[in-house]
Amino acid sequence: MENYQSPLDAAFHALADPTRRAVVSRLAKGPAPVKELAEPFDMGLPSFMKHLRVLEKDGLISSEKVGRVRTCRVNAERLTAAESWLSEQRTLWQARTDRLADYVETQMSRSVDDAG
Amino acid sequence: MPAEESELAIARFINAPPAVVWKAWSTPEHLEKWWIPAPIECRVIKLDLRPGGGFETRMREGGGEFQPHVEGCFLEIVPESRLIFTTVLTEDWRPAEPWLALTAIITFEAEGGGTRYSARVLHKNAADSRKHEDMGFHDGWGTTIDQLAAFAERLK
Repeated sequence: MENYQSPLDAAFHALADPTRRAVVSRLAKGPAPVKELAEPFDMGLPSFMKHLRVLEKDGLISSEKVGRVRTCRVNAERLTAAESWLSEQRTLWQARTDRLADYVETQMSRSVDDAG
Repeated sequence: MPAEESELAIARFINAPPAVVWKAWSTPEHLEKWWIPAPIECRVIKLDLRPGGGFETRMREGGGEFQPHVEGCFLEIVPESRLIFTTVLTEDWRPAEPWLALTAIITFEAEGGGTRYSARVLHKNAADSRKHEDMGFHDGWGTTIDQLAAFAERLK
């Protein structure tokens, strides 16, 4: 299932693994450096980094490197979306409605005038 | 399953008359500008405004191929007033099995000098909740999601 048709599918994929769930649960308490995140797990750093890349690629976490330390944090917006498929749909339609209003109000007033 | 768990309703005032809001919905060049959030590009493939007419939009991110987005069929068209489409049918009433079954009822109502725009979206839900179960939703990470959701709420 590589070709996700919904951002929610991607979130589900990212959270379908226990290591990745544990990482996200830890990050829900606050940002943390990769070294600290990796500590509880009995796996090599390269394997652990693969999990982080999945989470990052699917938009659930983001990371930033300062000096030699890479710090990860959760993407709160995506987590809210993952809360339930219906709330994701609601967010999607709300945003879509707001974009329509914004587009009509800022881009189309001139075309109304033109139409007479 | 109770309707409130499978329905959503959005309404807002738009400061332009229904004719203009309708035009933004019913013209491909306009629809492509707001249907999908930037930077994802939207392309309208079908926008056949009649009962049984096809409705299809595709999306593209980062310059790749256009991917499926919405494919459906219009059920009712009342210009400048009401538009209904569903994803459980495609063009000319052909049955389909979409990844997300929905029927959207969009209304445009004159209010002052503007429009009261509303979208009511009905979902099938039974199949969708089964999809979640298949992916292990009830097997341990529902709790995690609850915690994360509570956390995300606090960040708002």
